[in-house]
Amino acid sequence: MLKEVKHKGIVFGIGNTGRQDDGLGWLFLDHLKSKGFNKYDLEYRYQLQIEDAELISRYQNVLFVDASKDEIEEGFYTKICRPSEKYSFTTHELMPETILFLAQTLYHAKPEAKILAIKGYQWELKNGISKKAMINMKKAEDFLLND
Amino acid sequence: MKKLVIDPVTRVEGHGKVTINLDENNKVKDSFFHIVEFRGFERFIQGHPYWEAPVLVQRLCGICPVSHHLAAAKAIDQIVGLNPEDLSLPAQKIRKLLHYGQIFQSHALHFFYLASPDLLFGFDVAPNKRNVVGVAIEFPELAKKGILMRKFGQEIIKMVAGKRIHGISATPGGVHKKISAKERDYFLNGEEIPSIDTMIEWSKEIINFIKVYHSKNSKWLDEFATYDSGHLGLVDKKTGFLELYDGNLRAIDALGNITLDDVPADDYQKYFYEGVEKWSYLKFPYLKHLGREKGWNRVGPLARINVCNGISTPLAEFERLVFTAASGGKTNNMTMYSHWARLIEILHCAEMMKELLEDDSILSNDLTRRGERRNEGIGIIEAPRGTLIHHYEVDEKDRITRCNLIVSTTHNNEPMNHAVRWVANNVINNKPEVTESMLNQVEVAIRAYDPCLSCATHALGQMPLEISLFNHQGNLIDVKRS
Repeated sequence: MLKEVKHKGIVFGIGNTGRQDDGLGWLFLDHLKSKGFNKYDLEYRYQLQIEDAELISRYQNVLFVDASKDEIEEGFYTKICRPSEKYSFTTHELMPETILFLAQTLYHAKPEAKILAIKGYQWELKNGISKKAMINMKKAEDFLLND
Repeated sequence: MKKLVIDPVTRVEGHGKVTINLDENNKVKDSFFHIVEFRGFERFIQGHPYWEAPVLVQRLCGICPVSHHLAAAKAIDQIVGLNPEDLSLPAQKIRKLLHYGQIFQSHALHFFYLASPDLLFGFDVAPNKRNVVGVAIEFPELAKKGILMRKFGQEIIKMVAGKRIHGISATPGGVHKKISAKERDYFLNGEEIPSIDTMIEWSKEIINFIKVYHSKNSKWLDEFATYDSGHLGLVDKKTGFLELYDGNLRAIDALGNITLDDVPADDYQKYFYEGVEKWSYLKFPYLKHLGREKGWNRVGPLARINVCNGISTPLAEFERLVFTAASGGKTNNMTMYSHWARLIEILHCAEMMKELLEDDSILSNDLTRRGERRNEGIGIIEAPRGTLIHHYEVDEKDRITRCNLIVSTTHNNEPMNHAVRWVANNVINNKPEVTESMLNQVEVAIRAYDPCLSCATHALGQMPLEISLFNHQGNLIDVKRS
C-alpha cells in the first residue's frame, strides 16, 4: 500500500525558472513556503508527468499553478479543472485535465481540482521574473492565502 | 518529385524530422532522418571549472540526466587521479544504484508510455487512441504497473541524488550523500511503495507479455525494419558479461564476428571517427578500420544483449537465453526485438537494485577518494539508449579546454536512417496513396531505438505532428496535422 499523504490537498508549481516568467509556478511555491503555508503539500514540476495521476489520486484537492501567456486583465485567474482524455502526441506536454482523467480512469479518484494561471510577459533563456509578473504573482498569492 | 515530411517524429524524446522523396509514380528515391536543432554543449562548457561538468552536462536532458551526470563524473574522477576501480566500494555501489534506477525508470517510460501503444493497438488505429491515455483506458492494470515501475526508478534517483530530475550525487572522486537505513528500507519493505521484490515480479510479467506477443506476431516483428548492422556495447572486463557502468568496448558485425575486441574504454579515440552530413546536426560515428560504409553500429538494449557473453543476474540471464534462442543463437538484427531486449534489461536492473539495496555497505560514510591530478578524463557508460562517451581536457587552472560528447542516439543515427529507409522501401514505395498508418510505421521503426534527440541536440517549444506533401516540382500540395 502507498503511504497516506500528509495533507488533504496538493499544489503543483509548474514551469522553468531558467525561462524568466515561466518560473512563476515555482516562485509561487517558494513564496508559500516562506510564509509558512502548510495546508497543502507542495510539488515542483518542469512539466506534469503521467505518474502524477497516481500522486493526485491520494488527495481531495489539487491546485495546478502555471504561468500564462494569455491576456488576463486581473493578472491571474482560477478555474475549475475537469478531466479530459485530450492528449498531446509527445511526452513533453501533459495537461492537468489529462492527469485528472488518468487519475479517474486508473485509480477511480476524483479530486476537486483548480488551475491558477498567472500572467507572464517575458520568456527568454534567463533567470528572474519580470516586475509586472511579480505583481501578478503577489495578487494571486494574496488571493490564495485569503481564500 | 514528391516529398513526404514527418515533422516532428512523435513519441520520442526531442525533435526529429523525416523526409521521404518520391518520384511521379510514388517510387521512393531517398529518405532521411534529420536532427534539425542545434545545441552546442561541447562549446559552451569550455572555460568552466572541471568540477562543474557533471552538474552542467546533465542539463542536456530531462529524461536521462543521470546518465550524463555519471559519465561526466567518471571522466572527472580521472582528472582527480582516479580510475573507476579506485573509488571507494560504497561510492561505486551508490553510483551503480543510481544508474540502475535511471535505466529502470527510463526503460519503463519508453515501453509503457511510448512503445506499448503501437504493440497493443497496431498501426491502423487512430492516433488519438494510439497513446498512453488509450492504454490507460483499454489496459488499466498494465498502465498502473508501468506508472509504478517508473516511479520506483525515480524514487531511487531521488534518494541518491536528492531529486528526480537534475539531482546531484557524484562529486570528483565519489559521491557526496550518505544513504540512511530508513531511506534504503523504503524500497525493501513495501510499506510505502511497492517493494523491489514486486518490481522484479512485474518485470518478469512484462517479459512474459512480450514473449507471448512475439509468438503471436512473429512475422511482422521478425521482418519489420530488419537489416544487417554492427552492434556495440560495454562488457565486463573479466567475464564479457553485460556491463552498464564500467567495462571494455566490444563490437560485433551482423554475423557475430568481433570487430572491436574488448578494448579499454579510454582508448575510444583510436577506434572511432565521426562522420558528418549537411542535412543533420547529428554526427555519424563509425569504426575507423571498417570505414564509414561498414563501420557503423547499433547501440542500446539489442546491441548490448548481442555483444555480451551473458548476464550476471540469474533471472535476466535465463531470459537472455530464451531471447537468444529466438534468433537461433545468431546475432539478432531484428529491430523490433529491441523492446524485448529492453525488458530483459529492466529485469536485470531490478535484480541489481535488490542486490545493492540489501548490501549494508551502501550505508557507509566512506564516500570519496583523491589521487594525483591529471589533465584529461574519459567517462564511458551504457546509458539507457546505448554507449555514452564524455571526454574532457583541462588546463592548469582547472578550466575545461576541450569537451567531446558522443551520446547514444548519435551512434544510432545511421541505424535509424536505415530503419527509415527500410520502411520507405518496403511499406511506402509504389503505393498509390500514402496513409497515416504508413507514416506511423516510419515512427515505429525509429521509436524502437528510443532516441533521445534532446541529448543529441536540443528541443524547445511545442511539437505537433505535421506531414507535408510536395509534388515533383517542390510545391506543397497537402498538409496533415495531428
